[in-house]
Amino acid sequence: MKVKVVKKVLDANDRIAEENRKLFDQHKIFVINLMSSPGAGKTSLVEQTIKAIKNKYKIAVIEGDIQDTYDADRIAKLKIPVVQINTGGACHIDGNMIREALPSFDLNKIDLLIVENVGNLVCPAEFKIGENIKVMLLSTPEGADKPAKYPLMFQESAALLINKMDLISYVDFDLKKARHDSLSLNKKLKIFEVSCKTAAGLEAWIAWLTQRIDEFKK
Amino acid sequence: MHELYLAESIIDIIQNYAARDGFKKVNSVSLSYGRLSCIEAKSLQFAFDVQAKGTTAEGAALEFKILPAMIHCFSCEKDLEVKMLPGDCPSCGGNEVVLTAGTEELQILELDVD
Ligand SMILES: Nc1nc2c(ncn2[C@@H]2O[C@H](COP(=O)(O)OP(=O)(O)O)[C@@H](O)[C@H]2O)c(=O)[nH]1
Ligand SMILES: [Mg+2]
Ligand SMILES: [Zn+2]
Ligand SMILES: [Zn+2]
Repeated sequence: MKVKVVKKVLDANDRIAEENRKLFDQHKIFVINLMSSPGAGKTSLVEQTIKAIKNKYKIAVIEGDIQDTYDADRIAKLKIPVVQINTGGACHIDGNMIREALPSFDLNKIDLLIVENVGNLVCPAEFKIGENIKVMLLSTPEGADKPAKYPLMFQESAALLINKMDLISYVDFDLKKARHDSLSLNKKLKIFEVSCKTAAGLEAWIAWLTQRIDEFKK
Repeated sequence: MHELYLAESIIDIIQNYAARDGFKKVNSVSLSYGRLSCIEAKSLQFAFDVQAKGTTAEGAALEFKILPAMIHCFSCEKDLEVKMLPGDCPSCGGNEVVLTAGTEELQILELDVD
């Protein structure tokens, strides 16, 4: 006998993510799900973004890096509430991990929550966590073949930061191909060329992000 | 990469249906995903076999329907099946294309049960 199902395997996670989203909406919290390969510059971008807008918004961070509390320590130095999630070696953050981290925060005192996902170009894109936007980094030493190889993350992201532009002349990164293929996956993708080391190009990212947050808060 | 998680989710869904419909054995589970969605069918079957032991789903075969990757070309207006995202249109060489299918997430379509 056949039983018709037609259901996403990750349906249970989607529902938890929706509950998280409702909670964030009640508290007017704008949530960024930040994704990339390990070492592409997620924590550096979080630090730069905090420095640029911490006088304007109350920011909090959830760190999903697997190694240790090293990233969380970097954020805590900036006097921002930060929670390290113990992903137990998982390859991504899921909705439930976020739900369990939330009681550590005073949600009434957050405008912007940045979630640094586990360094991985595949899985994090599959799991919703209740975010407003997904943002991804691709760093020039990784090569321009990544959009074609890992299409989902590029499709799901609202913004792509091409990071480590300061290294581009050393690493043979085909910027034109990276931009072209990313847009072939996602016509609406907003692309920024930046260096989280020198801060070059970050003003445009900050301006875009600020606008998104302000629109949401209205 | 998270086959164990997916296997558990599939088994949870099967058990919910078993509770509803009262079947005792699952012969096969039909699933679908896009060819570019980075799912490892063999690892998933392996994880499923391990996790399903002692449940209604024990011994069920996973059958995968792999959905094709497609692009649309804005120059020749054709829709073409591809193996991977091409830089240019394989038909006319035009350089504005968009991936229109191929990253569909894993879905359970139906169960074959006794
Ligand atoms: N040259 C250069 N190095 C960078 C840049 N951004 C980050 N890094 C370095 O890359 C390494 C990994 O950065 P991190 O922010 O920890 O990456 P994460 O693993 O994605 O969080 C660190 O040594 C950073 O200092 C950049 O724009 N240029
Ligand atoms: Mg980090
Ligand atoms: Zn994963
Ligand atoms: Zn064409």
